[in-house]
Amino acid sequence: MNRYWSVLFLLVPIGGVATFIVAPYFNMGLPRDVSEHGHVIDSLFMFILYLSGAVFVVTQLVLFYFSWKYEQGSNDQPVKYSHGSHVLEIVWTIIPAITMLFIAIYQMEAWATAKMQPPDIRPLVEVTGRQFNWDFRYPGPDGELYTADDFVRTDGKLYLPVDEEVLLKITSADVLHSFFLPNLRLKQDIVPGMDQSIWFKATEKGGYDIVCAELCGWGHYKMKGRVFFLSADEYEAKLEEMRLDENTMRVVQDDTLDTDE
Amino acid sequence: MSTVTADPHSDAHADHGHSGGFLSTYVFSLDHKVIGLQFLFSTLIWFFVGGMLALGIRWQLAFPWRPMPILGDLLGAAEGGQIAPENYTMLVTMHATVMIFFVIIPVLAGAFGNFLIPLMIGADDMAVPVLNMLSYWFMWPAFALIGASFFVEGGAAQGGWTSYPPLSVIAEAAPGSLNGQNLWLLGVTFVGIASMMGSINYMTTIIQMRAPGMTMFRLPMTIWAMFITAILQAFALPVLTAAGFMQVSDRLLGTGFFLAEGAMANNSAMASGGGQPLLWQHLFWFYSHPAVYIMILPAMGMVSDILSCFSRKPLFGYKPMVYSISGIAGLGFIVWGHHMFVSGMNPMLGMTFMVSTMMIALPSAIKTFNWLGTLWGGHIQYTTPMLFAISFISMFIIGGLSGIFMAATPVDIFIHDTYFIVAHFHYVLFAGTAMAVFGAIYFWYPKMFGRMMNDSWGKVHFVLTFLLMNLVFYPMHILGMQGFPRRLADPYHYETFRNLLPMNQFISYAAFILVGLQIIFVINFFGSMFFGPRSGRNPWRSNGLEWQAPSPPGHGNFDFQPIIYRGPYEYGSPEVEEDFYPQNQPPPEAK
Amino acid sequence: MSDNPKDDGPSHGPNFDYQPALPISNGKTFMWLFLSTEIMFFAALFGTYLVLRFGAISWPSTHDVHLAEIWGATNTFVLICSSVTIVLALEAAKKNNASLAKSWMILTTLLGVVFLGIKMYEYKAKFSHSLYPQYPHSQIYEKADVYYSQAVRKRLAVLKAELENTTDRTEAQNEQLTLVDSISLDYVVPAEKAIREDPASPAGRILLLEMADAIYPRASVHDQHKRSTHAAALSSNFHLASTSTPAATGHVQGLNDLYPWLKLPIMIPGGNMWVSTYFLLTGFHALHVIIGLIAFAIMLTKTLGTSNAGLIENVGLYWHFVDLVWIFLFPLLYLF
Ligand code: HEA
Ligand code: HEA
Ligand code: CUA
Ligand SMILES: [Cu+2]
Repeated sequence: MNRYWSVLFLLVPIGGVATFIVAPYFNMGLPRDVSEHGHVIDSLFMFILYLSGAVFVVTQLVLFYFSWKYEQGSNDQPVKYSHGSHVLEIVWTIIPAITMLFIAIYQMEAWATAKMQPPDIRPLVEVTGRQFNWDFRYPGPDGELYTADDFVRTDGKLYLPVDEEVLLKITSADVLHSFFLPNLRLKQDIVPGMDQSIWFKATEKGGYDIVCAELCGWGHYKMKGRVFFLSADEYEAKLEEMRLDENTMRVVQDDTLDTDE
Repeated sequence: MSTVTADPHSDAHADHGHSGGFLSTYVFSLDHKVIGLQFLFSTLIWFFVGGMLALGIRWQLAFPWRPMPILGDLLGAAEGGQIAPENYTMLVTMHATVMIFFVIIPVLAGAFGNFLIPLMIGADDMAVPVLNMLSYWFMWPAFALIGASFFVEGGAAQGGWTSYPPLSVIAEAAPGSLNGQNLWLLGVTFVGIASMMGSINYMTTIIQMRAPGMTMFRLPMTIWAMFITAILQAFALPVLTAAGFMQVSDRLLGTGFFLAEGAMANNSAMASGGGQPLLWQHLFWFYSHPAVYIMILPAMGMVSDILSCFSRKPLFGYKPMVYSISGIAGLGFIVWGHHMFVSGMNPMLGMTFMVSTMMIALPSAIKTFNWLGTLWGGHIQYTTPMLFAISFISMFIIGGLSGIFMAATPVDIFIHDTYFIVAHFHYVLFAGTAMAVFGAIYFWYPKMFGRMMNDSWGKVHFVLTFLLMNLVFYPMHILGMQGFPRRLADPYHYETFRNLLPMNQFISYAAFILVGLQIIFVINFFGSMFFGPRSGRNPWRSNGLEWQAPSPPGHGNFDFQPIIYRGPYEYGSPEVEEDFYPQNQPPPEAK
Repeated sequence: MSDNPKDDGPSHGPNFDYQPALPISNGKTFMWLFLSTEIMFFAALFGTYLVLRFGAISWPSTHDVHLAEIWGATNTFVLICSSVTIVLALEAAKKNNASLAKSWMILTTLLGVVFLGIKMYEYKAKFSHSLYPQYPHSQIYEKADVYYSQAVRKRLAVLKAELENTTDRTEAQNEQLTLVDSISLDYVVPAEKAIREDPASPAGRILLLEMADAIYPRASVHDQHKRSTHAAALSSNFHLASTSTPAATGHVQGLNDLYPWLKLPIMIPGGNMWVSTYFLLTGFHALHVIIGLIAFAIMLTKTLGTSNAGLIENVGLYWHFVDLVWIFLFPLLYLF
């Protein structure tokens, strides 16, 4: 019977939903979230997943059902000679419209907190992306960034205090890069010549990947860094240790010949 | 009006007094049908090239740094077939460039647009046939330039198909941005000129050359889609052309439109600067977002025609379908910023672009539900084109819904530039458009060559492609969910992504088979040209005007003056005995 | 049979009846659609200009970059006239007065040539002031810093070497050599010395600015100083410039103006972006003018009677568009 062709289309919702159900059991869900704001993004993701999952399942099942039921040989009714229905058109415009507006409004706040309301604190570290490395500029003993006693680490390891709101300056030395912390649900493209910063609060100690998420040349794949979140004391100690380390580069007086006002 | 009753099996159709040598008939032909077929063959060949490049990508992701057998050397890999890091970015860039600029856009507008528009509206040819021919021949410089770019020093372009400066502008920044990038820009500009000439021609033809009685609201959806697509092309493409010139000038003349003050790379101070890197992104997406609809609307139009034909019932909600296509096109111009949510653009703009992007789902919803409505209560015939058309709906829903995740700005912070995006656009582009194109080839093949393609092998091709394609692209959602970034030659030295190797290998195996099995299609396609059964004029018992012309139509297309009495979807009309009612068949009382 | 004229293409098969939506020929429809795409093309260019200009930290005033309104206005006038003459050509052609049409057409062409001529003269004025969009010709520095003085020093060294290597120098060349040396002594050396000794102090910067001003006095700076109440206090910084003769356009002449062979690097904040956009916009406009002229040249080979009126009309439409673009370009570039 010809109608069995439609079974192919039944596989889509079954396989589609199964994949998302099974994936977490293989440790393939969203990566661990160690930030304060991350759960907002995660829950929004899950919310859209459930919502679109529902739309997905319903539409795919309807598709299957129609293609099963109305196969020529199996449908002994005459074809419904219908050119459409205004009522239906309106219904299926309004319902998605409301849904979409709801999502749109629902997420605005999360977006505003993530990108529009930087905390009123001093930047802690300056992150510089360059082909193909992350450099970090830490404040010296005076605790203030952009002073003469700053120092720079080029080993791609970033140390930050845990449980504390931090503000980082991000800059690029050459092309576009993107500062991506998967475990903190954080991503920001870095545009040379722009004054950009990011802010977050980590909630768990440990080391996490810093990924470059914007194509920046042949070495894009290896532009890897690590961020370590330390308790306050450990952080202070680490700062001191790094400052005294012989591999650390010093920032001499800010480019003295610069005639910028 | 003897025309309508023309015996469907007599296609012994004489060329209307056409004479000319081989060159003017098949090469420099002014006939829209020949030009359409030229586009079709060219794009199929480039589809193959794009597929091979995809294999390169998949090989590297499954077996990082292992020499690639056979293909390795061809794809310009390093000594011994190993894919070098800069070659990986080149593969990705060129895969997308080939697929988008040389396959999907030209196959939709160039091949089907050319072949179908005059036939479906009852014209003898395009409004300006000379420009139509030139629009094909302007593809050739592009073919040559992009083809040559693989062999120049430094290799082909490596800036991604989005070609973001400063990477694409500063020659020192990437090996492939020596000459490869110049050739890329020139190539894309030529494609632009070609599409430009084509689309103005299509608009003129559709506005001015419809047969008597063919009012705008009697046009088949395919034509509406082509019309709206042409408008999109005409208004979006010049912006990319202008931006392309600026990038060329930044590269060759040392201007600094897209370079920030004091731009550097590789420790060498660069040109003047004072420009804005984000400006390119705005200009690029101002074209390329409408372009994604350029890459799907014609497919939607063709799917609508196929669905209605094989459901043997009228298209559900014809006018809403037309309005929703126009709506998608209109909204398409104000959503480009959704590609730039995390680009550093003003977050306030992100907010507005998010809302407009959400709104663009509405016309798509209307279309989806109307397709379902078309199936409802029909007499569905499972021919190969129909299977492809139904699968288009199913796959477009997946691709569209994943778009909603990204339209949600906070979620996009996480999934931007991950495989979630890759999954999204392969679902709309490959699972959507490319499948629709396969369907359209099976559907209109009889009109093109006068012979049928083999339906059984067509179904085998469909089932395998459908299954494997899902195996290839569906898991990419899962990859993306874990933050797996795109354009990464070797993700496995990140701890977060180390466990993704098996899944990538699985995807790659599926992709190898997917590409390999297309041989079924190739053999069917070429074989049927010689051995397929003759089709007659209207093998699918379809309403469209094109099916009333001889198969294949001769010069001038019709052997009668088409006069149109109704819309194209009058299947199962109670007015006639047959379950179809061609657009040009006079109503019974007029007989 | 068909009342809908086809513009070109082979005649084949039966001639079909159509139901055109617009009461105009296909060619004209085509031209209108083409022009609407052109609008988008120029919209992108104008958009770029606006974004870059208003995003820039500084932007030179028109006089800083030797844009003279008078030439822009003349060109506007010339183009408007040519738009009128092409309409007259069409009118004549419609009345089947081919020779009159041809005269108007020739006049239109001439006006187009005049436009291009003036454009070329303007370009030349830019080039002679080292305002090039292209490296290495471009000598524009955004700010007067050490890199700038380095560049000046390098250029002076090149000149000096050249002059010294000429075996039998003329009187004029001897004078040139003295000038080169004195510029070096008067400006470059003190500025570099001051910077080296105390990098943080403003003294060096002032000297650098003074040097930049002497080489290429920016009209906008001087305008401001004239107006400023502190003019007297600050005028010492600009003593050399103010002693030199005012140029015809009303602004002060610098070393580069007085001694064109010097070709010293110049300092114009925002200057590079300005040149880039200026040449981008006017260049693409000029290209359109040239294409128009080619079309006119082709038209002139034909008999411009009624049969070709449609063709004239299409070319005319295009020409009006080119004119229109300039009418937007002129105030944007010359007046604001
Ligand atoms: C044919 C091509 C095509 C199509 C049709 C679309 C359609 C859509 N796209 Fe996609 N897109 C691409 C091709 C396409 N896209 C490509 C190539 C890229 C990547 C470019 C690159 O970076 O290289 C991209 C990237 C992309 C991004 C950027 C992601 C990023 O880089 O971070 C976004 C963000 O908003 C987006 C959104 C959407 C949306 C909302 C739609 C909507 O039009 C979808 C609407 C459809 C539906 C929603 C489904 C049907 C509707 C229903 C079943 C009704 C019920 C639904 C609801 C109530 C939700 N797309
Ligand atoms: C229309 C567009 C299109 C199509 C069809 C495809 C098809 C495929 N794509 Fe691609 N892809 C893109 C558009 C497309 N892609 C884009 C825009 C990007 C982003 C690039 C960027 O980041 O800049 C991308 C990136 C991309 C990536 C991400 C790379 C990365 O970011 O690191 C991957 C990885 O798996 C991939 C894989 C594939 C695979 C396996 C296929 C397979 O489906 C391919 C299957 C091929 C065939 C089925 C062809 C068979 C041949 C014929 C049928 C013709 C035969 C006829 C004759 C010989 C006459 N693609
Ligand atoms: Cu840095 Cu990618
Ligand atoms: Cu988009």
